[in-house]
Amino acid sequence: MSVLPGQDPAARSWRPLKRGALATLGVAMRVAGDVAGGLSGPRVRAAVRGVRRLLEVDGTGLADLSGRLEWVGQTPSGVDVMSLVEDVLHSETKAGRLPTVALPLHARDELSGVLVVAGASRMGPVRDVADWISDALERNRLEAMADQAAQAELRALRAEISPHFVYNALTVIASLVRSDPDRSRELMLDFADYTRYSLARHGDYTTVADEFHAIETYLALQRAVLGDRLRVQIRVAPEVLAVAIPYLVLQPLVENAVRHGIEPRSRSGLVQVRGEAEGSDCVISIEDDGVGMDPAVAERVLAGHGRSDSVGLTNVDRRLRNVYGSWFGLVVETAPDAGTRVVVRVPMFQPGVMP
Amino acid sequence: MIAALAVAPVVLITLLIGLRGVAAMRTTSDFLVASRRVSPLLNSAAVSGEYLSAASFLGVAGLVVKDGLGALWYPVGFTAGYIAMLALVAAPMRRSGALTVPDFAEARLASPPLRRLAAVAILVIGGLYLVPQFRTAGLVLSVVSGSQYWVGVVIAGVVVAVTLALGGMRAATYVQAFQFCLKLVLFIIPAIWLLLRVGPDVRQEAVNPTEFTHFGHDTAVTFRTAVTVDITTPTTVRDTAGGELTMPVGEFQIAAGSEYIFPEGAAVPGLKGQTPPGGAGWERPLIDVQGEGYPLLGTWAVLLATMLGTMGLPHVLMRFHTSPDGRAARRTAALTVVLLSAFYLFPGIYGVLGRVLVPQLYLTGATDTAVVALPSQVDDGAWGDAFTALLTAGAFASFLATSLGLLLVVSGAISHDLLAGGLRQLRVTVFLAAVAVVLLALPAARLDAGILVTWGFTVAASTFSPLLVLGIWWPRLTAAGAIAGVAVGLLATAGAIVMTLFGSPVHGWLAILVAQPAPWSVPLAFGTMVVVSLFGRPPPWTTTAMLRLHLREQPERDLGHSTFGLDRSSTVRRMVRRFVR
Repeated sequence: MSVLPGQDPAARSWRPLKRGALATLGVAMRVAGDVAGGLSGPRVRAAVRGVRRLLEVDGTGLADLSGRLEWVGQTPSGVDVMSLVEDVLHSETKAGRLPTVALPLHARDELSGVLVVAGASRMGPVRDVADWISDALERNRLEAMADQAAQAELRALRAEISPHFVYNALTVIASLVRSDPDRSRELMLDFADYTRYSLARHGDYTTVADEFHAIETYLALQRAVLGDRLRVQIRVAPEVLAVAIPYLVLQPLVENAVRHGIEPRSRSGLVQVRGEAEGSDCVISIEDDGVGMDPAVAERVLAGHGRSDSVGLTNVDRRLRNVYGSWFGLVVETAPDAGTRVVVRVPMFQPGVMP
Repeated sequence: MIAALAVAPVVLITLLIGLRGVAAMRTTSDFLVASRRVSPLLNSAAVSGEYLSAASFLGVAGLVVKDGLGALWYPVGFTAGYIAMLALVAAPMRRSGALTVPDFAEARLASPPLRRLAAVAILVIGGLYLVPQFRTAGLVLSVVSGSQYWVGVVIAGVVVAVTLALGGMRAATYVQAFQFCLKLVLFIIPAIWLLLRVGPDVRQEAVNPTEFTHFGHDTAVTFRTAVTVDITTPTTVRDTAGGELTMPVGEFQIAAGSEYIFPEGAAVPGLKGQTPPGGAGWERPLIDVQGEGYPLLGTWAVLLATMLGTMGLPHVLMRFHTSPDGRAARRTAALTVVLLSAFYLFPGIYGVLGRVLVPQLYLTGATDTAVVALPSQVDDGAWGDAFTALLTAGAFASFLATSLGLLLVVSGAISHDLLAGGLRQLRVTVFLAAVAVVLLALPAARLDAGILVTWGFTVAASTFSPLLVLGIWWPRLTAAGAIAGVAVGLLATAGAIVMTLFGSPVHGWLAILVAQPAPWSVPLAFGTMVVVSLFGRPPPWTTTAMLRLHLREQPERDLGHSTFGLDRSSTVRRMVRRFVR
């Protein structure tokens, strides 16, 4: 039951109502929490007890899709509860009639369980409770789906190797096979490294060193493709190499710099990647002197309204904020024809972030 | 002049390496990150560079002049601390990924109050460590430039602030490693030169100490702080203006800033509670804390504090984060012992030579300047000046390296653990911390650097050492236990230090236990932590946290690649293999 603070006598006039309403709300909330693990979860029994208290009936039960029933209270005489559950599971509609009824529980239009009530006097409250449980189940399903979507997005980002890039890289390697077999072998190994890192299943976090290694292989391939048009400078202070960061945070940024900064124009361009420690933060900047963009466009891209092919920037920004808090998003400095500079700032230590 | 010549290059080179240190690693094609992994040797040089403070460069020799050969136990403790660190802390700390002790507390026990308490302890340790650095730097600068003590301290503060503003925030490994080499060279070469230059008489005298009772030659003594001396026979001294002054028998007050020339053969005035250099017990290899006797107890107190305190020094602990894994961190600690041992062979030389050549420094309480004062005693020509400049540069490098690291850690603790804030705030905090330390250093002229630093070690030994050791090795530790232990250790040591500085004097073994509280405060902190923890229940994630601290990391991924063939042709890759092996 809910606990009310204070014993102010002036409050006595409204307390009974509030106490009753609050108590009901508390029980309802607890029921919603108890079914969070699903109808075959460990706390279903507590949920059933809560439902019985809400409806003030003789007995209630919740059954999952396999028909396993969790029952609390008196078993009604003269009615076969199990057959009611079976009926509902087959027909997906209400079965039995007052005082003992069984109602289907739907989550996102999908049957996910059965609520059985014995000794109810009116149908209204029973329906309300069934809807309440359905809502709770649906919310849990949605939360799980949101998590899955986030995971899938991360996986999609990992798998997002541009087919164009693969084609170009392989063509360049092929053209070198006869004239410069050693170089083509090196590039082939770089390509293998690159695909391995981008596609392989790792944990959520990696080290700055590994991430820089991936950047290197990518840039080595791009240099083979673009030739003299791409110049690269990588500078990293040894202090930050061991810092843990989310997986594939830097590589999409470098890809962006090459694809949107250097590739669109004919002159040669320079991509600089710097990593260094500043106090207890690790600061990594990716800079190109390419075409740049209007700051307003960059703002739109960061807000997630950019073109569909530049989803990388938003994704990195969101993941950084997610892991480190809203202070640690990406910083983009850019102007048309003035290049682009993207700065990633992460704390060198964050609890829970381990490679 | 000498000061400018000595200080300017050190600051310039430090800045240059700091700014270019990252740039120096630029490559365009064959760059491989793995090759940039810091090898244990480089990292241990960086650890030593950050660790060898002005207290080591100047303070140990000063203590030898003043208190005797027993002071050589200080460097023994400073070095042996790394063995305790190696065995107990280095690898698990690295595996935890934590940079500082508050980080570690957060990772292991997830308790915000403990985090803040640890940050407060960092402030105390940092303060006790920083004040003697600034004090000694100020003293040395004032000696070589002939100015007032406060001028030297302010100059030191300004130099630190400028260095920080111009890019010292990076605290790069290369800078610290370079500083170590610089210090080593600037310490060893003058020592050898001095030994060769002084001649057989002085060398003979150096190993057969006699008490400093009479001035061997006309000696100018500059009193930078007010002193009360004890005159046994009437002594006539000349002041710089040429006037004569006779000090009567009894206690005599000498004002700050006065300079007197004691004639040859004059009796040396006594100082209350101190035996002059070379007196009875000077050559005894034990530490006599405050001249109260019980040398064995005093020695153990200092050894315990320095050995266990090393693992809690915030700026040193941070360096181990640069190691790629726990194994490399352990190797780093082991190599640090070797490097420090090489350095600490030499303070003894300066100490015994200083007792022969500049014993009068003990009158002014400025024995910490003995190292810098030596060359001009041996050679008053250009060579003497040159070596004075070299030693000043070395001392300043020591001061700079340690102060920069510590100031960053202290302001990091303030802006990161105590207040929430970003880098902008860190910059402001660094400067405020520097100003605070300068203000604290101004009245600290008479406190020996070695003593103050040892207090810093004592606080670390009574707070962070139990937290780290039990946190790493005892699964039953609870947040409440850790908070209680750290708080008790902090209060006990801080109380003892305040008693020593401002309280009424006590005598006998009690005085030693108050001046060097480690023998009781460390067991007290450990005990409190254990007892309070036993009443509580360890957090449910303890096993996970312990496993992470003690299991070996995954093999390095980028080198475990099947595609990362060891037969890859380029030179860089061959070098990588050598580096990493």
